[in-house]
Amino acid sequence: MSVDRRYSRQILHWGDAKQQQIEQSTVLVAGLGGLGGTLCQLLARAGVGKLYLVDDGRVDWPDLNRQTLYTEQDIGQLKVDCASRLLQQINSQITIVPIVQRIDSTFSCPADITLAADCLDNYSSRFQLEKGIPDGLFLVHGAIERDQGQVLTLRKSLSQPLHELFAGIEQPQGDIPVTGAAATVISALMANEIYQVIFGTPELLNRFLIIGLGDLHLSFLGV
Amino acid sequence: MVRIEFYSLLRLLLKQEKLELQAVTDETINQLLQRVQKQLPTPFLHKLLDGQGALIPGTIIMVNRRNILHLDELKTRVSDGDTIAFFPPGAGG
Repeated sequence: MSVDRRYSRQILHWGDAKQQQIEQSTVLVAGLGGLGGTLCQLLARAGVGKLYLVDDGRVDWPDLNRQTLYTEQDIGQLKVDCASRLLQQINSQITIVPIVQRIDSTFSCPADITLAADCLDNYSSRFQLEKGIPDGLFLVHGAIERDQGQVLTLRKSLSQPLHELFAGIEQPQGDIPVTGAAATVISALMANEIYQVIFGTPELLNRFLIIGLGDLHLSFLGV
Repeated sequence: MVRIEFYSLLRLLLKQEKLELQAVTDETINQLLQRVQKQLPTPFLHKLLDGQGALIPGTIIMVNRRNILHLDELKTRVSDGDTIAFFPPGAGG
């Protein structure tokens, strides 16, 4: 099959012009766990031209229930290395830039990104990510706990900042309970929103989409 | 009227998405919370307040889209037409 046909099924849906927008985009995926791991696969398959993958973790057994990038053979390896390898196998036409880093006060945002995806597993790093991106840039936030989660799009310095919205939230102690199904659903919703941002029509700008798989409930909360 | 909205695990716990109550002059969020609890069959205040009546981290409370920690915390006044949202967000990734 010709690589020219790689995107044919989605082009039937959104057309050549939007496919070009996707291919000309650069997305920074912060965190390669349950959300980031699945999200970056979807973005690679869709043809996002360049992906920065930021994570300092290594694959561990408890990751395998939901982190669809990794297998038993990857245990102990850096997530960015495993992710880069698999994503290039999925799509050799895009550029993958692995960055081994925990997002903290030293985080320096690449200059060429179209938007950032917050797939991090703690609020401290989320606030640092938002602090590190340039004014006006879109940030698509996602988070998960148990079989619940949320997706939200903000524009740095134009929207309420994450640290104000989530003021008073403390990181839960210990491991956060999470299901693979919820991680995959919320990753897919993040991917969908990222495409909308790239097309210039974000659906979740300044409003949470709150997902509950326990009773299959979706709700919106404006912020 | 004051509109109260519950999200995520709180909505699941209470089996209720929203509630509307008559506004009371000069009522604070703290007073409103006590009034909301009396309207609902399921106890939920223990999820929001500790034994001393202080906010427990884990749920954001917004009045008209603003986190009350950037307003007057539990002393934030609620007025006719306000929307109050209770949202325990996910933390993991």
